[in-house]
Amino acid sequence: MAAPDPIVPQTGSKQPGAAPPPATPGRSNEASSPMREAWGQFLKNRPAVFGLALLAVIVGLVLYGHFIFDADPYDIVWMPLTPPGEEEGIWLGTDFLGRDMFTGLMKGGAPTLAVGLSAALITVVIGITMGSLAGFFGGWLDDLLMRLTEFFQVLPALLFAMVLVTLFSPSLWTIAFAIGIVSWPQTARLTRAEFLRIRELEYVTAARSIGAGNGRIIWRVILPNALPPLIVSATLTIGVAILFEAGLSFLGLGDPNTMSWGLMIGQNRNYLLDAWWPVTLPGLAIFLTVFAVSLVGDGLNDAFNPKLRSR
Amino acid sequence: MADPLMSLRDLRVEFDTRHGRVTALSGISLDVMPGETLGIVGESGCGKSITALAMMGLVPNPPGHVTGGQILFQGEDITRAKPRRLRRLRGREIAMIFQEPMTSLNPVFTVGDQIAEAILLHQDVSRAQAEKQVVDLLATVGIPEPARRAKAYPHELSGGMRQRVMIAMAISCRPKLLIADEPTTALDVTVQAQIFDLMRDIQREFGVAIVLITHDMGAIAEMTDRVAVMYAGRIIEQGTSDQILDNPLHPYTRGLIGCIPVLGREAGDAASLPPLAEIPGIVPPLHLLGDGCAFAERCALADDYCRAVRPPLEEKGHPVACHHAGQGVPA
Amino acid sequence: MNDAPLMSVRGLTVDFPLGRGGLFGKPQMLRAVRGVDFDLAPGRTLGLVGESGSGKTTTAMAAIRLAPASGGQVMFDGADLMALTPGQMRQHRRHLQVIFQDPYSSLNPRDRVGAIVREPLDLMDVGDPAGRAVRVEELFTLVGLRRDQMALFPHQFSGGQRQRISIARALATNPRLIVCDEPVSALDVAIQAQILNLLRRLQGEFGLSYLFISHDLGVVQFICDDIAVMYLGEIVEMADRPTLFSRPRHPYTAVLLEAAPSLARRKSQGYRRQGIVKGDPPSPLNLPPGCAFASRCPQAQDRCRAEKPALRDTGAGKVACHFPL
Repeated sequence: MAAPDPIVPQTGSKQPGAAPPPATPGRSNEASSPMREAWGQFLKNRPAVFGLALLAVIVGLVLYGHFIFDADPYDIVWMPLTPPGEEEGIWLGTDFLGRDMFTGLMKGGAPTLAVGLSAALITVVIGITMGSLAGFFGGWLDDLLMRLTEFFQVLPALLFAMVLVTLFSPSLWTIAFAIGIVSWPQTARLTRAEFLRIRELEYVTAARSIGAGNGRIIWRVILPNALPPLIVSATLTIGVAILFEAGLSFLGLGDPNTMSWGLMIGQNRNYLLDAWWPVTLPGLAIFLTVFAVSLVGDGLNDAFNPKLRSR
Repeated sequence: MADPLMSLRDLRVEFDTRHGRVTALSGISLDVMPGETLGIVGESGCGKSITALAMMGLVPNPPGHVTGGQILFQGEDITRAKPRRLRRLRGREIAMIFQEPMTSLNPVFTVGDQIAEAILLHQDVSRAQAEKQVVDLLATVGIPEPARRAKAYPHELSGGMRQRVMIAMAISCRPKLLIADEPTTALDVTVQAQIFDLMRDIQREFGVAIVLITHDMGAIAEMTDRVAVMYAGRIIEQGTSDQILDNPLHPYTRGLIGCIPVLGREAGDAASLPPLAEIPGIVPPLHLLGDGCAFAERCALADDYCRAVRPPLEEKGHPVACHHAGQGVPA
Repeated sequence: MNDAPLMSVRGLTVDFPLGRGGLFGKPQMLRAVRGVDFDLAPGRTLGLVGESGSGKTTTAMAAIRLAPASGGQVMFDGADLMALTPGQMRQHRRHLQVIFQDPYSSLNPRDRVGAIVREPLDLMDVGDPAGRAVRVEELFTLVGLRRDQMALFPHQFSGGQRQRISIARALATNPRLIVCDEPVSALDVAIQAQILNLLRRLQGEFGLSYLFISHDLGVVQFICDDIAVMYLGEIVEMADRPTLFSRPRHPYTAVLLEAAPSLARRKSQGYRRQGIVKGDPPSPLNLPPGCAFASRCPQAQDRCRAEKPALRDTGAGKVACHFPL
């Protein structure tokens, strides 16, 4: 109501041929895209920036840690279940086979993150395709795709993933695929809702009125405007996928040939009563990663929400 | 002359925005006489809706703050009134109708229930008596088959019917002052005409004073006795409706009148009508207001003096705030 | 109207599906436009006037195939638009542009305004890239914007400026007809005047034809040469401006003129409105057999309720009423 709009000065009407008036001094005439404004808003959000920094540290250690601490995570370095700090050079202790926990955490992070990212990517690709087609074209196609979406949505996710992993080899890709298959319906519904909303806005009719075809309207006009909630949802999907992978590994359905945080938990869980660290430390790593991802996701959500922006 | 029903005395309202604290109303003074219709006119962002909310003691806080002046209702300063007293005044003595009647009504209750609720809140009557009053009220505001319509939900009524329901609710306790904030903006012209006629009838019947907030000079002509023209949080011209419409002194008022296409038979059958008067530019954002006249940037008469010194509201036939009042081409 | 019409619409009909009655029920249809005929002469402005639900916007959008029509013929420039393939229709769009009502939703918030104005040139493959850049600069100057604003995004402009951007986009391909869908109704009065003057100036400069949709008779009188008054999906009266405003023949037109606010109607002079219409329009799903306006018409007689009046020539215009004023 009284909150003034961030507007640049109006030039007023002019007769043809009149020179444009000079820009009024003291007012910003700099282009600021909605994305850049959202980024600026994100940077003002302390928890989100903390989450991003934490995520950067985790990703940095996981991807580049082995350049600094080069060791094989499968090497048996000391007595099994040595507590952290008891032996020099084995800061975080050893697991039930006597393998170094620290090296394991370093090496096991990359597959965990890779599964999370791939699963989120699969989710987004399937979800956006289904959702945008259903929302844009409507009619029988919408009915068909939404029934399909509902079918996948009511599948018991964990059970379905377990069946997939059991049927095919329990490789990281199978796991990522299984997670993606059970998580895309949510993204599809979100995309469809956004398409249904934006489809009715006048700039879509405007695009049609200047001769834009369906493909251009879907990709260039509607999708960019539908992205903000999808980015948020994709970010949170990464966290969910990491937890999912950990869950599968804990149940013994992980890839036994690839060191991952979930596998570490799964293999060491029988010794939990004797030694807390082989389970707790990878659990903590997963917790911190998911926590950081969630903070970033929440920050993005707030940054994209114009109602919060004016505060 | 009778005592004013409501008077604003040098009212100042500030808002916290991301540009810092801005002054939305700076020193508004005006009187509403019993039984009259006062128009407040201006473009969006000029502060007319804030003035209406202030009269109800409803300036949203945060981000708004009443930082100075008085709002006197029958001599009582409502800026100092306790919340309990304010709630009693609202609805019972002062009522308000809004621009969008759909969003002002609760969609999950019937309109009859909502009006009855308002009656029970302020009057010592039984539920049955209240329900009988509801039917009478709906008949008063010209709703056909009132007993049946009382059982309707808001979405089952047309926009005009909903605005009638809002008016019925507003007059349910015979208020002395009715504040109407753009009551017909969302309605079609034929329905707007019906609502205006209804408001006039209500005023004649109940003697209620009306404050009509509008951007439409046509509505001002048809509905009001006196007018205050607002710009950037100040009153810049004030007078009887005839004074303002026939002899506007402020260049902004002249612009507002001149930029409306004249209607119908009055325009004659000229082959081509002359271009409309224009007010270039837009209302300046409140955080960028300087020391001079807020209108100077858009004004054809403005000189360095205007940009440096803000003109006070002075009596020049009627009160107007302009160094060049009455100069230039009349509208 | 001495020239051959630029656009000629005959029997235009539009139906909207209203959802289904149950899973296997037949979809219910709402007839929003019911057999509309009109001609638009080159260089002139035809106003479509009516209240909400009159079908004025749907009529215009269906005529240029931005809404699906269920019947009728639209001749434009020698071609029947309804018979074109989607590809051919896209090519025709360079001659048929639109200015929308809401300046806040008609511009894609993700695009820079320079790109928005340029987009029709790119899509229609007009000229070479350098020529397009020059054309965009020209257009910005033409509508009263500065060239240095081209890199900004829509939300950095006020409503009036956004409407200027919309106008620049519509002008980009040198169209012959622009549909103006309530282009000023979302703007403050002072800004309305700026845009209306601009539209009139551009029409004179480029010989444009406008199909101008509005509910505001003052605006229509200022900008339109010919006016068609619509009520519940039909044209009830059509005439040139002086005729319609000085001598309305249809009771509904008279009621509209009477209802519109005007500076000359003063409370101080005890103004009371004559012939005010009562009630709301009937539901378009359940129209009476006779004249659609009969239920609200002060002059209605038995014949009006039984027999539907056709749009007849009166010499100075056309009117659909058994008892024209």
